[in-house]
Amino acid sequence: MKRTFEVIRAASWLGWQVEANWADPFLFVVYSIAKPLSTTLILFFMVRVVAQGHATAESFLFLFVGNTFFLYVTEVLIGISWAVFRDREDFETLKYIYTAPIRLLPYLLGRAVTKVVTASIGVAVALLFGRFVLGLAIGGDAASWARLAGAVALGLVSVAWLGIALAGASLVVARHSMNLNEGLAGAFYLLCGAVFPLEVLPRWALPFSLALPFTYWLELIRRTLTGRPYAAPLRGESDAMLWGILALSTVGLAAVSLAWFSWCERKARADGLIDWKTNY
Amino acid sequence: MTPELDPEPGFGAVLRMNLGAVLARARVRVVASWRETSWVIGETVFPFLTMAAFVLVYRGLKAPPMYEAFVVLGGAMIAYWNNVLWSMASQFFWEKEQGQLQLYLITPVSRMSILFGMALGGMAMTTSRAIAILAGGSLLFHVPIPLDRALPAFGLFLLTLAAVYALGMILSSLFLLWGREAWHTATLFQEPIYLASGFYFPVRELGPLAGSLAALLPITLGLDGIRQILYGKAAHGFVPLAWIPPIQVALLALFLYLAHRALATMERLGKQEGRLTLRGA
Repeated sequence: MKRTFEVIRAASWLGWQVEANWADPFLFVVYSIAKPLSTTLILFFMVRVVAQGHATAESFLFLFVGNTFFLYVTEVLIGISWAVFRDREDFETLKYIYTAPIRLLPYLLGRAVTKVVTASIGVAVALLFGRFVLGLAIGGDAASWARLAGAVALGLVSVAWLGIALAGASLVVARHSMNLNEGLAGAFYLLCGAVFPLEVLPRWALPFSLALPFTYWLELIRRTLTGRPYAAPLRGESDAMLWGILALSTVGLAAVSLAWFSWCERKARADGLIDWKTNY
Repeated sequence: MTPELDPEPGFGAVLRMNLGAVLARARVRVVASWRETSWVIGETVFPFLTMAAFVLVYRGLKAPPMYEAFVVLGGAMIAYWNNVLWSMASQFFWEKEQGQLQLYLITPVSRMSILFGMALGGMAMTTSRAIAILAGGSLLFHVPIPLDRALPAFGLFLLTLAAVYALGMILSSLFLLWGREAWHTATLFQEPIYLASGFYFPVRELGPLAGSLAALLPITLGLDGIRQILYGKAAHGFVPLAWIPPIQVALLALFLYLAHRALATMERLGKQEGRLTLRGA
């Protein structure tokens, strides 16, 4: 176990160097916060343009929270699978993982930790921007913040395991299939109601939405930060039920992802894909 | 015996050679765009999903359906902007990474011809994606797109594309020198430009100062104008419609001139600093 943590720590440090050493710290921070701040402001202006209608500050608050925390999903999902392509084809280092006394899975979890850290910078800045520049009523007592930290941590475990599943797929597909992974993040953005209430989804899409752990995760975070439920289809569910669903789905996702990743890794090694180059 | 040197090619020969380069580069892009199924799906279905999320934002806010149409039009224009960023501006970076940039440089054709071919191919490739987004938006969300005003809107759209791809040529000259930071720079030009260009809301909402700065981008102006043509006053236009075509023509001429100068300068700098063949930097 100690060895696994050492690998995770070393891989996350390596990931940090890959992510951040191309620029000075200031430029890197600008880069890290540009996306979350831009999408926040896009939503802000979208709400403001229809403010004369039904849109209210509270409507924006729910969109803001969902959009801000969804950044973790995008960054981690895309980040882990992209790390596989970059290591395999650009840096040509994936094969060396196998010549080192480490396993690929903890290495990739370490790379996920880096993405969590970089996403956290964006999320933190977006929350501060929302609280102090846009004047949103974000906050609560110490217990709320503790619950928020717990909910975020549990959700991140779920996101990381889904990322591992995608990383497994990345081991057996060519680099140019990367946009499918990126698209999956887009599909989740739509289906889990990150920026709109679930009730406006077409009726046929709702079961897909309710099958995603992120739907419950975002609802839990919204309730924790605002004290009110948001998605109409989940109004009947208590907070405890949401915690339970999120925990169970995370365990299920971890089991499925682990099996899928192991299968993909075996196939990649059997088919000689570990040093595959497809960036021709 | 002294070997006989080929005479300097005449204007006609140079023109034919450059036109050939334009067509060849455009053809590669068009053929490649349909050859990889995952790209076709990735560039049509998935951008559509993100666009759909923003349509549902307005639906959730109970905004008039016209706002949903703004998003659909913006979603189509985003396809072009992303194409300019990732397949035009950063293309020389990819070529450098794959060791092919020097092949471009040893050809006797203008870099502008290669980029022009890239632009034409990119427009053709992206148009199929943009049509899918427009058609999907119209059919699935029933957004109102008045087809009786489509012709003048299409004219402005073509002018906008010309100016946007000319801007892409300038950016490609910068990416000629950049290394790994090119990737991050291209990312920086995504969401912030989605915001500045008002892809999902009328750019007038940004206010006079920020709106004026954003209007220096041809895609901002073009989208503002197209919305005004299609929806009149309800489009919350920012720049008077009559001003937009001449401004776009002026931007096009300026960008082409700057691209020509920037390409020559960056290529010279790249050669002096030995960065044109530097991979992974």
